[in-house]
Amino acid sequence: MNAGNPPQMPTTGMPISMPVAMVYLCADCGEDNEIKPKEPIRCRTCGHRVLYKKRTARMVQFEAR
Amino acid sequence: MSTVAQEPVPSVGSFGTLERKRVHENPGNQFQYPALHSLAAPHIDSFNAIFQGTDSSPSWISAALKDIPPKVVHDHLKGAKSAAYIEDSDEEDHGEQTSTNKLGNRIQFWIDSVDLTKPMANLGGDQSHIQRIYPSEARDCSTSYQGKLQAKVCWRVNHGPVLSDVCPMGYLPVMVKSNRCNTEHLSPKEHIRHREESEDFGGYFVINGNEKIVRLLIAQRRNYIMGINRPTFADRGPAYTTYGTSIRCVRPDQSSSTMTLHYLSNGVLTLRFYIDKREYLVPYMIILRALVDTSDRDVFLALARGDVENTFLTERIELLLRSFSPLGLFTQQQCLEYLGVRFHSALSLPEEYTPAQIGKELLRQCISVHVTDNQEKFNVLVAMAQKLYALVAGECSPDNADSAQNQEVLLPGQIYTGLLKENLEGYLDNILFRIRQDVSRGSRLCNFSDPVYVTRMLRRSNPDVGRKLHYFLSTGNLVSRSGLDLLQSGGFVIIAERINFLRYLAHFRCIHRGAFFAEMKTTTVRKLRPESWGFLCPVHTPDGSPCGLLNHLSYTCQVSHRTPDVSKLPGLLVSLGMSQVLHGHVSNPNHITVQLDGRVIGYCSPHLAVDIARKLRHLKVSKQHNLPLDMEIGYVPVSHGGQYPGLYLFTTPCRMVRPVKYLSSKANYDIVGSFEQVYMDIACVDEDVIPNVTTHQEYAPTYIMSVLANMTPFSDFNPSPRNMYQCQMGKQTMGTPAQALKCRSDNKLYVLQTGQTPIVRSRLHNAYAFDEYPNGTNACVAVISYTGYDMEDAMILNKSGHERGFAYGSVYKSELVDLTSQARRGGGPVTLQFGLGEMDEDSPARRTLDVDGLPFVGAHLKAGDAFYAFYDTERKRTVVKSYKGPEEGYVDSVRLLGQDDITRPLQRIKIVVRIPRAPLIGDKFSSRHGQKGVCSQKWPSVDMPFSESGVQPDVIINPHAFPSRMTIGMFVESMAAKAGAMHGNPQDCTPFQFSEDYTASEHFGEQLAKAGFNYYGNEPMYSGITGKEFEADIYFGVVYYQRLRHMVNDKFQVRSTGTINPLTRQPVKGRKRAGGIRFGEMERDSLIAHGTAYLLQDRLLHCSDYCQTHVCKLCGSIVSPVNVPSAFANPGSREFSKYKSVVECKTCATADGITVISLPYVFKYLASELGAMNIRMTLKVD
Repeated sequence: MNAGNPPQMPTTGMPISMPVAMVYLCADCGEDNEIKPKEPIRCRTCGHRVLYKKRTARMVQFEAR
Repeated sequence: MSTVAQEPVPSVGSFGTLERKRVHENPGNQFQYPALHSLAAPHIDSFNAIFQGTDSSPSWISAALKDIPPKVVHDHLKGAKSAAYIEDSDEEDHGEQTSTNKLGNRIQFWIDSVDLTKPMANLGGDQSHIQRIYPSEARDCSTSYQGKLQAKVCWRVNHGPVLSDVCPMGYLPVMVKSNRCNTEHLSPKEHIRHREESEDFGGYFVINGNEKIVRLLIAQRRNYIMGINRPTFADRGPAYTTYGTSIRCVRPDQSSSTMTLHYLSNGVLTLRFYIDKREYLVPYMIILRALVDTSDRDVFLALARGDVENTFLTERIELLLRSFSPLGLFTQQQCLEYLGVRFHSALSLPEEYTPAQIGKELLRQCISVHVTDNQEKFNVLVAMAQKLYALVAGECSPDNADSAQNQEVLLPGQIYTGLLKENLEGYLDNILFRIRQDVSRGSRLCNFSDPVYVTRMLRRSNPDVGRKLHYFLSTGNLVSRSGLDLLQSGGFVIIAERINFLRYLAHFRCIHRGAFFAEMKTTTVRKLRPESWGFLCPVHTPDGSPCGLLNHLSYTCQVSHRTPDVSKLPGLLVSLGMSQVLHGHVSNPNHITVQLDGRVIGYCSPHLAVDIARKLRHLKVSKQHNLPLDMEIGYVPVSHGGQYPGLYLFTTPCRMVRPVKYLSSKANYDIVGSFEQVYMDIACVDEDVIPNVTTHQEYAPTYIMSVLANMTPFSDFNPSPRNMYQCQMGKQTMGTPAQALKCRSDNKLYVLQTGQTPIVRSRLHNAYAFDEYPNGTNACVAVISYTGYDMEDAMILNKSGHERGFAYGSVYKSELVDLTSQARRGGGPVTLQFGLGEMDEDSPARRTLDVDGLPFVGAHLKAGDAFYAFYDTERKRTVVKSYKGPEEGYVDSVRLLGQDDITRPLQRIKIVVRIPRAPLIGDKFSSRHGQKGVCSQKWPSVDMPFSESGVQPDVIINPHAFPSRMTIGMFVESMAAKAGAMHGNPQDCTPFQFSEDYTASEHFGEQLAKAGFNYYGNEPMYSGITGKEFEADIYFGVVYYQRLRHMVNDKFQVRSTGTINPLTRQPVKGRKRAGGIRFGEMERDSLIAHGTAYLLQDRLLHCSDYCQTHVCKLCGSIVSPVNVPSAFANPGSREFSKYKSVVECKTCATADGITVISLPYVFKYLASELGAMNIRMTLKVD
């Protein structure tokens, strides 16, 4: 389980069919960070260890009463 | 006061909106609210003093390291080369080389220095990635904000060279904004940059993501001899009386040791002290003679002080001396050896120590530890005995331990230092223990001169001191061998809850009397005493069980934190006329003692003492002779049966002090302590000044109150309990907990969406940044009995006001998800990973879950919706966890938290859910005058009454709320805010501004009249239903309303059926488990009294533990009927069938008498319990 080189050797029956990269925001410097599953949580710019999930791009609509 | 009242009340100026906007847009490098930062000063200063000393005093931790007794082991080797060891400090007593020879090689350990680094983290793999971390990161990640603790451990073999090694001592929690914090010197701008509050003033620790504060505690005033008359003293043994004197001596490292001198009816005095929580009673004379090489004559002269005429005194001293002679101890050496033999096991000291050395060490560690010189220790003990004799003779009264005069503050830094010291000493002891083990085992590796062996021992003896302190801060429990001379062992730490800003502030100012006193039946400790004037707020204390025990410092009260250099002071006093103490010198019995920080430094006549005190104060205020401004000059005059006279000077840290105006000098800023204040003439207002008597005057009468009490508008118009209630309710208000809301992830935050600045505010409002954290809404309030829904403190909200967002709030709940704790094996390879795995695209969980297994930010969550998902690589399946609810909410933010170990993928997340909380019927509101009420209706706007100008109230309250509570302040606020709203200016509501000559109603009435309103604040109103004018004019104005955090949504409890207790089958209790509310005995009584039998049966049987059971009519038992398989049943029985089982009575062996009845299940349970005790219960069943 060496996360230093994640794309290496997808073990048989690995669940996540395609490693989907997600973009998160660094809590400290605000930069976008593309993080793949199993990658450590670190901002590439400043090394901060807290990342925020971006607000969804899907339409958010609720019943207004 | 008249001078203030004659001129019109000063206006507070503008609301400062533009200025505030400017600062917010471009935060500068200067803090806007210096007063705010001084509130947490006692916490921060005391923490700073741990690691940073001044020119005049060492840091507390270095003083503590010096105080640790020598730690020595011997290897007991026969042929030790250089066994002769002479300790540098006391060579004269260490001549016994022969004994040392037997012991073999000697190794001594000590800790030279301790260093705490600022919090750092290694973000990469190597040294170049080390970065500072800031408190916000610890908060976000639910970790602790801590720095690395390192100790330089030194050792020396025999007389050889000193070797040292720097040992890591784990990670020690660091106080935010202290000198070990990375935010220490940051400006507001940088604060914001590092995701802190712009005006964060620190003073707390971040422990597991929570902000923790070490509570301030009240302690006995240090280094002051207290006279005590306590009945429990008499129970100590035969001849013990109720009299004693006690002194809490404090070492330079701020640890303390209390000595008590007991008076026995046979003339003997016994000294009581503690070593590691064990109590020791030692005859006074032995200690006295062991300290100094004196004769009985000298002791007599010292104690009697020339007062040979006083037969009461001389007889007792004679008895004391006679009682000592049978022991046959004639010299100091004999006394020391006597003590050394007896205290050999109590003090763990080096083996080579002779009894006399042990005796000396005992005197150093336990007797009058605030002074180091033995002669001075002797003088302190003599002063204790003198006061004790005076107390017994009735010449002076006992001192009151509950009075602020005899109290000081126990600061966080003191407890922290004490714990550090003890754990560091424990570490050294641990090393010794391991080496001793090796020595006794005869291990071949055990070689003192081998540095490798020693360093291995250092590393092996688990030096994680940081973890111990971390445990203390996370639980508040004190795990200590010595108990740190404290009365309690738990409850030291509280969470600094950010309910709102008021609550947060109050945590830093609260000061507790001690858990020990909370259990006391008597109420004397809780009394409000005049001595606490100006130091403890008379208003701000909770009602109920902690009333009077949990106080708050007044807003001007400071805690002294410096240890100034006072070595020149005795000389100065001598130049003012004091005579010094000379051993064996007979001084005048009428003279009183002069004590400086518990050291007896001289004597002078009472007459001269007045003069010295006056001159000294003048010198102090005019900053001459380098006298510390917070020095206390407590002159206690000679009286008949009053406090023991003397001139007591205090310069020590931890005292409560406050600024007062000094009248007889141009430099008028004086700082007064709680001891001296009792004997000073301080006028409150101008009228109180008596020429030639009054020396000081208060800067303002509001100085006596805490910040919160000062926020109550016109509190001088209210009865005091109402102001107390407001102090409570202000802290429960839904307001603005923080400005950096986006950067916070507290467990629960209450936020008021549209807070306003109050129109009516006191002058302190701006000084303490309350405009930055609005706490309520200005509401139009009509005092009218209108709808019938406003009885008993209920209030009506205007429905349209509510719809426009009046008092709308939200609750932010955050949840930490840690997959490592959910994994079946901790510490192993990562088996759980956030993600959807092979989830279908159209799975219902996809409505709220993103592809990374985390919820969409902004998603609407209902109870049961998917909250997050992870894939279990071991079991090969996806686990979806659902949102528990029960309330609907919106995902506000999702944080991905990294870890120290950079090889591990995402394991920890934090999800914040926003739960909207619009005001509901049943939510609690209050004005700022202790007038709370529950919303009972949201009344349609069209049906609301309206004034001539068409204004409708936002809130209607019932006039019955006023006559019994007499909160006139609320009326005045209503008028003032109405006028302020019309004229567009804030109104000053600082108390004590108005008088009979210039009343508040006059002041604000004029303003109202100018705005075209009725002078008295009431106006004609029209019914919203009929449109007719009311016969009476209605009191209508603007009042600042707080929405309290007690909301029905958190409280309602309803159930029909649900969980039951498996044993009794009765409903469980507790809202969380959907339990019921107890329908108790008194409720039952009332149903019986009403004769509502059906209701009674419904509540107590059908809705509870209704059950049907078999009973045997023949024997009347409900225990004996049992199911019998039909094969074994009596074949003659009617229900006999091949397959069914049959109920038979076991005792009657037949099914004939079996019938079914309904019962409460507990009754059945009772029958079987009784059966187990061999008691048969029978029912008569027809």
